[in-house]
Amino acid sequence: MTLKNKACIAGIGSTEFTRNSGRSEIHMAVDAALAACEDAGLEPEKIDGMVRFGSAGQTTCEFTTDADVARCLNLPNLNFYSEAPWGGGACCSTILHAAMAVSAGIAKYVLCFRSLKPASGTVRYGRPTAVPVDSHWSYSMPFGFSSPTSWVAAFTNRWMYETGATNDDLGMIALVCRENAVVNPRAIFYRRPITLEDYYKSPMLCTPFRMHDTCLENDGAVAIIVTTPERAKDLKQTPAYITGVGMGMADDSFCMTSFYRDKIGIPEMKYAGKDTFKMAGLTPKDVDVCQFYDAFTSLVPMQMEALGFVEEGEGGAFVRGGDRIRPTGELPINTAGGMLSEAYIHGMNMITEATRQIRGTAITQIPNVEVSMTTGGLGVPTSALILTKG
Amino acid sequence: MALELNNYHAKYFYDPVAESFEQGFWDAVKQKKLVFQRCTECGEWSHPPRPMCHKCKCQDMEWVESSGKGKIYTFVIFTREVHPMYRVPYEVVVVDMEDEKVRFISNMIDTDPDEVYIGMPVEVEFVDINDEWPLPWFRKAK
Repeated sequence: MTLKNKACIAGIGSTEFTRNSGRSEIHMAVDAALAACEDAGLEPEKIDGMVRFGSAGQTTCEFTTDADVARCLNLPNLNFYSEAPWGGGACCSTILHAAMAVSAGIAKYVLCFRSLKPASGTVRYGRPTAVPVDSHWSYSMPFGFSSPTSWVAAFTNRWMYETGATNDDLGMIALVCRENAVVNPRAIFYRRPITLEDYYKSPMLCTPFRMHDTCLENDGAVAIIVTTPERAKDLKQTPAYITGVGMGMADDSFCMTSFYRDKIGIPEMKYAGKDTFKMAGLTPKDVDVCQFYDAFTSLVPMQMEALGFVEEGEGGAFVRGGDRIRPTGELPINTAGGMLSEAYIHGMNMITEATRQIRGTAITQIPNVEVSMTTGGLGVPTSALILTKG
Repeated sequence: MALELNNYHAKYFYDPVAESFEQGFWDAVKQKKLVFQRCTECGEWSHPPRPMCHKCKCQDMEWVESSGKGKIYTFVIFTREVHPMYRVPYEVVVVDMEDEKVRFISNMIDTDPDEVYIGMPVEVEFVDINDEWPLPWFRKAK
């Protein structure tokens, strides 16, 4: 019994990515859902399952419910609805939930979606409006340890100390993602290149992170339709098979503040990746292109280590100079610009790019892609996904 | 400059909300004591607190006063203000406590950002941040 290739991504859709959408999260979610149905060639009323983002122990802009979307799409019934929690860690988990549901016959067509508007909405990430001193936050917030940038910066600082990774290495992640975004009309930073000099000139926010080390804050929504390969035959697109997918929580976990382990690191991704590769029967060497969750630059080389693309401590050296991770390199990354430069939709836009790489329709298309990987958010329980042609 | 008191501390800081099994930590803080949880059966330390020992599952945990000494495991310097209670630049330090097997998050006082390094010996000092609450902050070890 395995989930391998029992389900596939049959449709992808998104809104435009902007700094001010001018409409509600619900509205964007439905716009993305309709785009995904159009892409798949599926009548919206056939959707009978839905996976939304759940909380990360506190709200991180999960305002749109499955019921909101179902009501707008006039869905007669949902046989299946679930939530994948932990912020950006949830992105590939939504696909795991959906794949389980369609392969087990619980639902036929499952819509996974994320809609968020931290750029123009009521909740902004990284800008605490008060000091939320409750639960485990009582041990960090009273000390002004209060932004995602600072939490990731803290374990990045230790990782740099242990591995010798440099600021130049972090800058190279920002540059390569930007190079890919510059040619992508969907990207917020379309036609807006940066140099390493620009990277160093961008304001320091929280050591070692400058502005260009941190992802975008924007409005937008992404929707993805998962069904069985049999049903996908009657739809429009070449299916992207869900060949490997996994989740991981690891020990002594908190939301973004798992600082009490012997070695902080990102063990969640080790576990999620191990299960994902095992299900797929593949190794990192087989991956043709990877969308690494890049809320912050350092997370890319750290994941390369956690997932076994490189040895422990070698992530910084691998990305040095950038050529290995450019589209012409041995491991092309974040081909649409990633969340540093395309848009920050909690990793769901990365899954759509991974899907396009399998279809052969990406703007920065890598030749002959057979294995296309995506990863979920770090510092939280997370997930990973491998798509293939089946 | 390190973390310094300003008027916003009194305005914005409010009581930490503690689960029943955490109450001992915050009760001790009010008395300017840094305490950590230790299992009376197997001696395992726990911070942040848990309702039971995660190793031996015993529910008889005790509060043990810390020596207050430690070394910086990692740190960050805030250079962009995210809240008026915290004027930049200031340091957040993640400290490996020397005599208890726990890690603790805090701030540095009387220490320039340039002086802070991984492995730096530090010791706790309680500072009254408003009429009601002292907080355990750290300074360079003497």
